[in-house]
Formats: sequence, C-alpha cells, structure tokens
Amino acid sequence: MAKYSVFSLVRNALSYHENWQRAWRSPDPKPEYDILVIGGGGHGLATAHYLAKEHGINNVAVIEKGWLGGGNTARNTTIVRSNYLWDESAAIYEHSLKLWEGLSQDLNFNVMFSQRGVMNLAHNLHDWRELNRRVHAIRLNGVDSEILSAAQVKAEAPILNVSPDSRYPIIGASMQRRGGTARHDAVAWGYARAADQRGVDIIQNCEVTGFVINNGRVEGVETTRGPIKAKRVGVAVAGHSSVLADMAGFRMPVESNPLQALVSDPIKPVLDCVVMSSAVHVYISQSDRGEFVIGAGSDLHVSYSQRGSFEIIEGIMGALCELVPMVSRMKMMRQWGGVVDVTPDRSPIVGKTPVEGLFINCGWGTGGFKGTPGSGHAFAATLAAGEPNDMAGPFSLDRFRTGFLIDEAGAAAVAH
Amino acid sequence: MADVVTEMSPLDGRAGSGADTAVIVEHPHLSKINLRGDSGDQAFMDAVADAVGAAPPVEANTVMTAGKHSILWLSPDEWLVVTPEGKQGDMEVALAGTLEGQHVSIVDGTDARTTIRLHGADSRNVLMKGCPLDLHPRIFGPGQCAQSILAKADVLIHQLDDTPTYDIYVLYSFSRYLWDWLADAAKGFS
Amino acid sequence: MFLIDCPYCGPRQQTEFHCHGEAHIARPKDPDAISDVEWADYLFNRSNTKGVFYERWVHNHGCRRWFNLARDTVSDRILAVYRMGEKPPRVKK
Ligand SMILES: Cc1cc2nc3c(=O)[nH]c(=O)nc-3n(C[C@H](O)[C@H](O)[C@H](O)COP(=O)(O)OP(=O)(O)OC[C@H]3O[C@@H](n4cnc5c(N)ncnc54)[C@H](O)[C@@H]3O)c2cc1C
Ligand SMILES: [Zn+2]
Repeated sequence: MAKYSVFSLVRNALSYHENWQRAWRSPDPKPEYDILVIGGGGHGLATAHYLAKEHGINNVAVIEKGWLGGGNTARNTTIVRSNYLWDESAAIYEHSLKLWEGLSQDLNFNVMFSQRGVMNLAHNLHDWRELNRRVHAIRLNGVDSEILSAAQVKAEAPILNVSPDSRYPIIGASMQRRGGTARHDAVAWGYARAADQRGVDIIQNCEVTGFVINNGRVEGVETTRGPIKAKRVGVAVAGHSSVLADMAGFRMPVESNPLQALVSDPIKPVLDCVVMSSAVHVYISQSDRGEFVIGAGSDLHVSYSQRGSFEIIEGIMGALCELVPMVSRMKMMRQWGGVVDVTPDRSPIVGKTPVEGLFINCGWGTGGFKGTPGSGHAFAATLAAGEPNDMAGPFSLDRFRTGFLIDEAGAAAVAH
Repeated sequence: MADVVTEMSPLDGRAGSGADTAVIVEHPHLSKINLRGDSGDQAFMDAVADAVGAAPPVEANTVMTAGKHSILWLSPDEWLVVTPEGKQGDMEVALAGTLEGQHVSIVDGTDARTTIRLHGADSRNVLMKGCPLDLHPRIFGPGQCAQSILAKADVLIHQLDDTPTYDIYVLYSFSRYLWDWLADAAKGFS
Repeated sequence: MFLIDCPYCGPRQQTEFHCHGEAHIARPKDPDAISDVEWADYLFNRSNTKGVFYERWVHNHGCRRWFNLARDTVSDRILAVYRMGEKPPRVKK
C-alpha cells in the first residue's frame, strides 16, 4: 500500500489522479477468522486496527451491514474532549484524547483533528458550582481544564451573547483547550485503510443475522453472505447492540434513542472553538466549510428510524437564538439523526458478555466519537487477551449487577 | 391589620391589545374551581348539578354551560368549574355542601390562573402560530375546550363562539409572557 | 413527529406528551427474595425492541393521564393505543 505523502501526491498528479490505489480492498469473507468484529463504525474499525497493530493479530474481519461509518460515526458532530468527572472515565477518555493527538500520523491519514478548545458554559449558580467541582476533579486526574470568566468567554467567542440581561446569562465557563473536533468520515476511512494494510478483511454489505453458539461458547456468526467461523467475536454496533444481544440470547441495559444534528449555511469564520451549554441545551462549532454544526438533546423514545422529533429541533434553535443571536436570520441547510445506545449511567460497556468468546463494546450513546481511538484500543486488548484490560475493566456489563455504576449523566448533559 | 383584600392580577394595567381582528383583553378573577370525582357515580353528577346547575360534561374536550357558570372537561375525572368574578367563595361552599361525604376533591384555583380573552376574525390564526391543536372549525368549535401548549406555555383553551372568541386560561407566572406573545402574534392582522 | 391518539383527549401532537419507556415491566413482588442478577434485570435491562414495541406515555400537557402505545420502532408508525391496566394488543407491523 502506497504511503500518502507529498511525493505520492505529485506522482499521482502526473496521471491526473486517476491511478490512486483503492484505500482498502473489498474481499469476500473467508470461512474462518481468529477474531471477528461486528460493526464497521469508528469503534469496530479502530478495534481491528489496534488488534493488528498492537497485538499482531491480523486474521481479523470487520463485518458491516451497510457501508463503512454509515452509522453514528458519519452522523455525529465530532466533538472530542476528555473532561469527564470520574476516574474511570478520565482514564479511558484521556487515553483516547492522547491517541487522537497522534492519530493522523499513526494512520497516515489526515483525520483533521483540530484542538480548537471546548467550552462548557455556566448560566446560574448551580451550573457554576458544578462546573468548578468538575474542573477541580478533572485537573486532579491530570487532565487539562480551566475556568473562564464571562469576559474571557466573550473574548474567546465574540458571537456569544454574554449580556447580563439575557434570560440565561452566561456567568462563566470551563475550557478544555486540548479538546476540539475531527473529520468523522476520515476517522472511519483512516482506520479502515490502516487495518486493511495490516491484513484485516473489511467486509461491507454483510449483515450479521445470528450467532453460532455451542455450550455457551460462540463459534461464529451467520451473515447475509453465509456463515463465518471465529474464535472470538467482538460486537461494536452502537444503536443495534440490543438487537445483536437478542440474537445471542441475553439482555442489555441499553435504550436506542434518536439523536439529531443540523448544519447552517456556510459563513465566514466567526467561531474558533466548540461551545456547549447544558442549561439552555445546545452546542455549536463551525466546520472548516464555514457551516455551524449544531446539536443538543436526544428524544426519549426508542427508535431505529434514524429520525428525531421536530420539537427537539425547535428547542435547539430556540436555545441557539438565545446564545448566539446572529443565527436568528441564518438558514439551516441539513438535518439528520442517528440511533444512539444509551445506558442507565451514561457510560459505555466494554467487555465480556454472558456468552463465552463474545465481547461487546457499546453504550457510548450520545458521546462516543471522542472515544473512538480509546475504545478501539481497549477493546482490541480485551479481545486479544480474552479478558478486559485495566481500562475496560470498570466498564463491564456486570457493573449493573454489582452496582459499581459510573455516573456520567452530568458529563453528557448536553448530548454531543 | 388590613381587612380589605384587593384582588390583583399580574396583568393589571394592561389595556386591551392585539389587532382589530384579534383583540386581547383580560378577564381577571373568574372563579376557577378544580373538581375531581367519578362521573360514573350518579350521586356525584347530581350533587354537582345541584350546585352548578348542570352536571359535568362526560364527553372529552367539551364544556357544559349553565347560566353564568361553565364546567370545562379536563380529564375523565377532572373539571374546571368557572363562574363570574366575586363568586368563588359561594361556588366552593355550594359544591362542598352538595358533595358532602363523597370521595371528591374541590380546590379553588382562582388565583392560580388568569383568563385572556382573544376575540375576532383572526384569533384562530393568532393561536395557530403557537399551538399544536387542530383548531379547524371541523374539529374544534364553540363549546369545546382543550388543554395544550401555546408558545410553550401550558394553557386551557375554551372556544366560546364562531367569531371566534377564545378564553385562554394560563398560570399567573406565565401570563405576562403569554400576553406579550399574543400581542406580538396579532401584529400584522387587521 | 408523532400524532398520538390519547385514549382520553383524542389525537394530539407529540409535543404535548412525554415518553416513559418500555411498558409492562412488573416490579418484583419480593425484592429481598430475588438475586442481584434478577434485580439488575428488572432495574436496568430493557427489551429495546427493533420492531413492535410497547411503551408508556403520559399526556402531560393535556389530561395528564398515562397510557400505552404499541409502535413499530423501525417505521415509527403507531400501531395501537391502549389504557393502563389493559393487556397489550397483538399487532402486526
Ligand atoms: C447526531 C449525533 C451527534 C453526535 N455527536 C457526538 C459528538 O459531538 N462527540 C462524540 O464524541 N460523539 C457524538 N455522537 C456519538 C457518536 O457518534 C457515537 O458514540 C459513535 O460514533 C459510535 O461509534 P460506533 O462505531 O460504535 O457506532 P456506528 O458508527 O453507529 O457503527 C456501528 C455499525 O454497526 C453496523 N451494524 C449494526 N448492526 C449490524 C449487523 N447486524 N451486522 C453488521 N453490522 C451491523 C451499523 O451499520 C454501523 O455502521 C453523536 C451521535 C449522533 C447520532
Ligand atoms: Zn389526554
């Protein structure tokens, strides 16, 4: 596989860019693999990449029912940060952020990771106290986080309305400068290309329809392209986790809810950081194309339709007009939805299932894009060893029995 | 100690507003008694009829009117008894009297909500700007009421006639906001 | 956006309602007598069905009554509305 570089760009320019090698193969499934990863979103692809790269296991296939990254990976608003409250979360999200920092080099693929800073606004005394508590807890975990006054917020993002007369005045914010955004498709493509290069088979248009389980042990899967055997199987299907669990005969503490986002007309650069507000409930960033990328809450009902309710959009826009009055006359261009897998404690599940050899990685809910590298890294280690590693350990499915929940509902108060 | 209690409404001082074809006026201090009971129980229905002059409506989203009093349907076992101002003491006492001993709830909510009357040919158009109800005359006409949302505020809407005229019941704390919203929504109609 | 036929008020827009998740989850009669696994199953596990799903809604901006819906979670089509205490109707997608 040719490395992407200035030289390859020049070389391909000579043939009018018509002879670029395909970024990954499109092989037929082999009858058997050491490890199968179900779900070709960012998490599944990252898992395959790290299995090959870190653990030397390359007899691996990623099975995707549609196209790569067509699930939440391609539908999210790409906020990356690691300012979570609890130690377990700090460990995995910060690990993830560190991987993000070197990801383009690691994958030889520009994932356009931009550490433009993520600001969380406080609008009342409760917000302010909570935010201070978080900033201190986050710092104690060695993660960067700082507090900004309202004046500093205005300096960082002049388009925000910081008037004390507004309905929900901005009284300050926390800021994680190492946070930012990345290019969603590039993450899927970059991981796919890097994994393929190490021999991983990436199989699209192949839906898993059942598991082959004998004596409580998984031996393979049924797919729309025939059965495939495997020693170990990892499930990373986000919103479809309950569906796959159901095929394997166990239940999950997960609900699949619609989560929407929208983008505005493109305008000149006016916002160079991410701004989030739990109180008025909206978040916004500006893409490299100039569009505002906007999101907020999920619907509360279960749905696999990839569409949310209009009232959510209305709420988002109302909140945004309050926060950024200049948008009130802008047009919104596109709107879409994904199916997010939400757990009771708003933390992911990474580890074993009741079926031996079958592992699951899900529950990243409204905020798992940022976790893609860390999740893939930890899940690869778990699949390679057949045991959760230290980072995955606390995120076991079993925590719902033991009661060792990792309550991050506050961190995800604005679904992002 | 003061022995005169002056009734006050959060909308005091707001003169009629809106447009010629969508006039907004406040009807403050209508007495509003929240009544709960079992409409399947004839004793309950009779006792209410004795006090108000009519039994509570059983059909959803309808209003039973008896002279100056009306009974608005809120849910299968809940109604709002509305009577002209100054009478709240009497009606509450009357209901408590005729329903004595029955398993019911009678709560005076006069000072919880005020009533904004919206009147004129365009008043339906004004409401439609912020209310998810189907207000088309085929669906919603005189003698009907519904609880819903108007510009995000919880409201109870009662259509009085074909003009149309609506009485909008709204919590005190939302009333100024809703008034301003209505005045704004009425702009452009004339 | 759903148009939900409240069993008491008739068809109303979704904005007037609030969804409270899966219906027909019975609280164990004697929590002390069951294992942690069973308790966790009651407390946290959900069917999260892709297909016909039975769920609870409340008409919180209307009559404030609770009721159940049967809905196809793939098409979002509402297949049946029924009252609390009633048996879930058998419906097809
Ligand atoms: C609108 C929106 C905004 C978001 N914003 C953010 C944000 O700003 N920051 C953030 O960190 N996170 C955000 N998220 C969450 C984030 O997108 C997800 O947590 C993350 O992308 C999940 O990645 P994944 O690879 O697990 O899932 P997916 O990308 O959904 O991949 C799962 C794949 O599994 C496949 N699959 C399902 N069933 C089968 C089957 N039977 N056989 C084979 N394949 C199957 C699907 O087709 C899909 O491609 C957002 C999500 C949404 C919807
Ligand atoms: Zn109702």
